Amino acid sequence: MSDTTDELVERARSLDKGSVARLISRFEDRRPHMAEHRAEVLAALDGAGVAPTGTIIGVTGTPGSGKSTLLSRLTVDLLSDDDSRSIAVLAVDPSSQVSGGALLGDRTRMRYLPDERRLFFRSQASESDLGGLGPSTFQVCRLLTRLFDCVMIETVGIGQSEADIRHLADRVYLVLQPLGGDEVQFLKAGIIEVPDAFILNKCDEPSSSASYHQLRASMWLARPFDEEAPPIFRTSALTGEGLDELEADLIARIDTIGGAGLREREPYFFGRWVDDEWGRHGVGVLRERFGGAERFLADHGGYETAQAAFADEVLRQP
Amino acid sequence: MAEQDAPQAHQILDSDGEPSSDRPWIIRTYSGHSSPKASNELYRSNLAKGQTGLSIAFDLPTQCGYDSDDAIARPEIGKVGVPINSLDDMHLLFDEIPVEQMNTSMTINGTAMWLLALYVGVARERGVELSELQGTTQNDLIKEYLARGTYIYPPEHSLRLIAEMYEFCLDEIPKWNASNICSYHLQEAGATPTQELAFALANAISLLDLIKERGEFTDEQFERAVGRISFFVNAGIRFVEEMCKMRAFGELWDEYTRERFGVENEKYRRFRYGVQVNSLGLTEAQPENNAWRILIETLGVTLSRDARARAVQLPAWNEALSLPRPWDQQWSLRFQQILAFETDLLEYPDLFEGSVVVRSKVDELKRDAREEIDRILGMGGVIPAIESGYMKSALVRSMSERIAAINTGDQIVVGLNRWTEGLPSPLLGGEDGGIFTLDESAARDAIASVERTRAERDPERAAAAVEALKAAARDGSSMMEPSIECALARVTTGEWAGALREVFGEYRPATGVDGQQLSLAGDRVDALRERIGRLADQLGHRPRIVVGKPGLDGHSNGAEVIAVSARHVGFDVIYSGIRLSPDEIVLSAVEEDADVIGASVLSGSHLELAEQLFEQLAAHGASDRIDVVVGGIIPPGDVEKLRGMGVQRVFTPSDYELIDIMESIVDLVEARVEGAVAS
Repeated sequence: MSDTTDELVERARSLDKGSVARLISRFEDRRPHMAEHRAEVLAALDGAGVAPTGTIIGVTGTPGSGKSTLLSRLTVDLLSDDDSRSIAVLAVDPSSQVSGGALLGDRTRMRYLPDERRLFFRSQASESDLGGLGPSTFQVCRLLTRLFDCVMIETVGIGQSEADIRHLADRVYLVLQPLGGDEVQFLKAGIIEVPDAFILNKCDEPSSSASYHQLRASMWLARPFDEEAPPIFRTSALTGEGLDELEADLIARIDTIGGAGLREREPYFFGRWVDDEWGRHGVGVLRERFGGAERFLADHGGYETAQAAFADEVLRQP
Repeated sequence: MAEQDAPQAHQILDSDGEPSSDRPWIIRTYSGHSSPKASNELYRSNLAKGQTGLSIAFDLPTQCGYDSDDAIARPEIGKVGVPINSLDDMHLLFDEIPVEQMNTSMTINGTAMWLLALYVGVARERGVELSELQGTTQNDLIKEYLARGTYIYPPEHSLRLIAEMYEFCLDEIPKWNASNICSYHLQEAGATPTQELAFALANAISLLDLIKERGEFTDEQFERAVGRISFFVNAGIRFVEEMCKMRAFGELWDEYTRERFGVENEKYRRFRYGVQVNSLGLTEAQPENNAWRILIETLGVTLSRDARARAVQLPAWNEALSLPRPWDQQWSLRFQQILAFETDLLEYPDLFEGSVVVRSKVDELKRDAREEIDRILGMGGVIPAIESGYMKSALVRSMSERIAAINTGDQIVVGLNRWTEGLPSPLLGGEDGGIFTLDESAARDAIASVERTRAERDPERAAAAVEALKAAARDGSSMMEPSIECALARVTTGEWAGALREVFGEYRPATGVDGQQLSLAGDRVDALRERIGRLADQLGHRPRIVVGKPGLDGHSNGAEVIAVSARHVGFDVIYSGIRLSPDEIVLSAVEEDADVIGASVLSGSHLELAEQLFEQLAAHGASDRIDVVVGGIIPPGDVEKLRGMGVQRVFTPSDYELIDIMESIVDLVEARVEGAVAS
């Protein structure tokens, strides 16, 4: 802890791995006094003219859909496509409800480029056994969109908790595998409404053509009000099939300024933070005494100060 | 011919009916180390001493498909065998050795097709006809999954590689054994004689089933392919039973090839095998006794003419201490020569024909083995029996029974658990203390060699060869010719294996972290979870541990048990998997801002690997933030060395209580947190 915030931020801007890692830990740390440290980091970045312009890409799908293998190929291709591009991957995995511990990050599939600063991989525990985002994923994105051109969030999509990703990402891809029976399950769970695009992976498998048509067909049922059907990419990390089209789609989004919505989404994630920390009681206080998250944030001049203020308010309650 | 002398039952007669004697088996020594040049010198001196075949040991990077300059290879270069990076190295290895006159056995599995391609490359560039080549690529992946650990690809792709080699060799290199069904390693892993018989034969049957199913062969070709199946077996100290086991092998193979595969020609039903006698039973205590053990074990596979080995290689008396020195290998070689050339062993027909005792024992072994083979084939063959963990757990059970019997003294091991007092051995005197030390410059030479090959080759030809290999791998056509073109184009070992990794992926064993059964429950676990909860409050995050296996040995069990236990008590665990370079493990730990690195090392390279871990931690400026603990088979002398390098805790097989290990790691994190608060 001997390094000053300015030193850490300076090194993190050149993507020094240890410094980025330690800053992420600050943004994951939920102890009340850390809000102040985060504000310091953000102020230092703002002072240097660094804006949160990185694009947030959500990649979600059931375990076994091959998304880790696919992601590892995509990141290699995206990095070699443009020498100045940088990517952070945030892989969120479920935690055990019994011990609280988690088994994280299929890093073995990301085995390449050990000296490459332009790629950063970090695991996060969702602190729930259902998957979805972790309690600090939003916070960490506020940092990473200031350091990297692209932040890829990989989540295990199992239930409604997956809808969270829609609020955070600029574009969400849902990875499916052929004939996993996923089409119907996702339809039922309403998850089909979340993604901006679908990836039918493992299309080298013989059953993939049938799955593609099934998915196409169910799209009109599930999203009748879409002006045009969301794209379905058919890929195989094995043969490389379909990766060019998918990468073109990703590059188009990454090269557009992203993360602009992070501020807009602050109220949503502020509400979620209150729910995580104080449950229904906290949510009630926020709504009834302060007129909701948006008002509260506006009244308290920014996310960090609002967090500190709300903690004070709730703790002052009898 | 003296017609009045009727042939006697104790005589061997030649084709003219004259009394004759047998030719000796192929006499070899399993060897290779340091560099192609050093190994070549060793081979030539062994041949000059009367050895009649070569048996090549490759280093772990070559076996696992990595170039010498790969970060993961560095600690292992030239350790357990010779490093071969390209055809240039292969030419050096066989310099001045006439390959057309050699019988060459290569202990190579995951990269067997590649090493055969390199051998073919040597022959082609020297103008030697492929039909003159003789030898064996071990190439038995089933036993790699079960016991030995140098697999690379998932089973279906591994079996395809093996089958394609049979298809190529049958007419191109008709005297080549494309694979060697190994029961050797099963005995080393604890198999009983029945298990050895059953598992090896089930393996061979499943392989032939697959070759038949692929439909590349006519019936006539298939029958010859059956004739190319050969075996590599072990011989233990219970030499009478071992001799009976070999007779049972021969009879069972004859029966299965006739009944199941309809092989008419008796020649193609013959059980052909090479042998290396048992290393598992060799002791570190009173190592000179091992010379007698090796002698007795050799009798089991040579006494009976009907069940005699085609090729024999012997370990050295001091193998439990270190790699053998040239003199140690010479001593083993001389014993084979005395047995084959001084004694009258080879003058007699089978000595046990008609023995009631031997007949009865062989029948018992055959009956038990058939039962077990039926069970495995009933599961769908060896692949399902491996994937379900059936074969593995059977071996683990046999091994623990064996260890228990030695510990209780029910199984006597002289010098180890009985008559342990002895005079100091003069064999361990001498300047080198009776052990072999590697030349440190070997690694530098190997790296220089692969760099030279890459610099001097035609880059376009090499790239095109790799692309053609990948294309064949994807479209299902044979990879053998594309591999030979890779060899000739000076593609490297790591490039060849990497191309196929890209297409096939890597195998990860079914022991899977989620399948582990833990005996972790109760008050101590609850208490530990509370302590970890408090730590999380102090640290601002749940304590994080990166668990991984640096190095190339494939035994993932220990690391997986630690990963699962750590999550169970409340750590956030980043499990990095097996076969990682220290650089990759440190990178994980740095990016994840971990508190602890837990490294499991069984390859014997713990000192080098720990050194690299600390170098990398320092390079990232993380030495004072991340603690390192190491687990594995660590000799007592090295524990202190590791502690001296900065390893905070060293766990060895004597630390078998998981909860003790977990508490010890939590102590470590607590001490660090308290230290930070105090300063």
